[in-house]
Amino acid sequence: MRQRILIVMGILLVVGIALYLVGVRSTKLHISVVAEPLVCIGGERANLERCASGFPFTNGLLTTVIVDVLLVLTAFFTVRRMQLIPRGIQNTIEAIIEGFYNFAKGVDAKNIAKFFPFTATAFFFMLYANLFGLVPGVGSIGMCVNAGKAHSEAIARGPVADVAPAAAESTEPDFFASWPASCPKDTTLVPYFRSPSADLNNTLAFALIAVFLVQVFGFQALGLGYLTKFLNFKEGGMGFFLGVLELISEVVRIISFAFRLFGNIFAGEVILVVMAFLFPYLLPAPFYGFEIFVAVMQAIVFAVLSLVFMSLATQAHGGHDDKAHAAAH
Amino acid sequence: MTDEGARMIAMALAVGLGAIGPGAGIGIIFNGALQAMGRNPEAEGTLRTYMFLGFALAESLFIFGLVVGLLIGFNII
Repeated sequence: MRQRILIVMGILLVVGIALYLVGVRSTKLHISVVAEPLVCIGGERANLERCASGFPFTNGLLTTVIVDVLLVLTAFFTVRRMQLIPRGIQNTIEAIIEGFYNFAKGVDAKNIAKFFPFTATAFFFMLYANLFGLVPGVGSIGMCVNAGKAHSEAIARGPVADVAPAAAESTEPDFFASWPASCPKDTTLVPYFRSPSADLNNTLAFALIAVFLVQVFGFQALGLGYLTKFLNFKEGGMGFFLGVLELISEVVRIISFAFRLFGNIFAGEVILVVMAFLFPYLLPAPFYGFEIFVAVMQAIVFAVLSLVFMSLATQAHGGHDDKAHAAAH
Repeated sequence: MTDEGARMIAMALAVGLGAIGPGAGIGIIFNGALQAMGRNPEAEGTLRTYMFLGFALAESLFIFGLVVGLLIGFNII
């Protein structure tokens, strides 16, 4: 078995090097940090990344809707024929939820009924969103948009322009340029799909919801006493300073939540693109495996971190000692 | 130095310097987790979860550096 895998890898390597030397590879490298609009509803497009007017319906938004539909379908097929002894998809989903539920119970058994719905929802959404970005065709199938106007605008705008003559103007000819489905010259591909996690709007929205819920649960558990965590006048200057630090760290949490997920998934996509650009056919394969790991890991991290923050917010100031005391009994 | 040259150096510095701290941090995390697993093999399941949580937290710092590097390199900021 192992030998067979090695033989297949060897054949792939030889074929990859041969194709590379013959020149069968793409020399275009286009990476977009923002989600590009597919259509501008009730307006028209200004350039590749912005709408002049109207509501931009971006590829990230389209993929978010698709991920939502997939989630609803998963839930539907899971509960359609519930059985006492689960099989198939019901078994899989039950195992995931039960595993996460047991972990959450270990973090905070008292408030789990409050925390679990949001964290589990975020986990499943992130899992689907992250994995959807790795499906072949996402980011490579799209429509051709004329970028010529945008670039002439950029040149007219000022001194930055001299560094942005687009990747399309590379000296090497692109092998796939003459193929029927490829974009003609002067146009750039705008993919139909883009992983929702690689769109900062989406991750920022989830970060805001998570941090807002943390505050809500804090107020629910401690009442107005929750505010003494941030405005602490009882313990002198040091306590007050620490309270201010707590306040800052709440704000930083939004940024770190949003950028952690966005950065991991977006950087993963960029790495895959660059690897496919440097040495196609073989080099992206190990990174692809790593990206699947990262996709699952980041979904877990988002859910677990929001769970831990919620649990911390419901504990009173110095509540750790009480808890340790109770555990000792 | 041209504008593009300065951008390239800035991008390389952002990514390279940003990798130092998280690299050391991830090493310390796995060191501690492996030692704990060796001493107490029954706790491996819980330890692995927290180990990867710490790993992801430390790694995200590097990702911040990488994102900033990419933003500089692709002429966005």
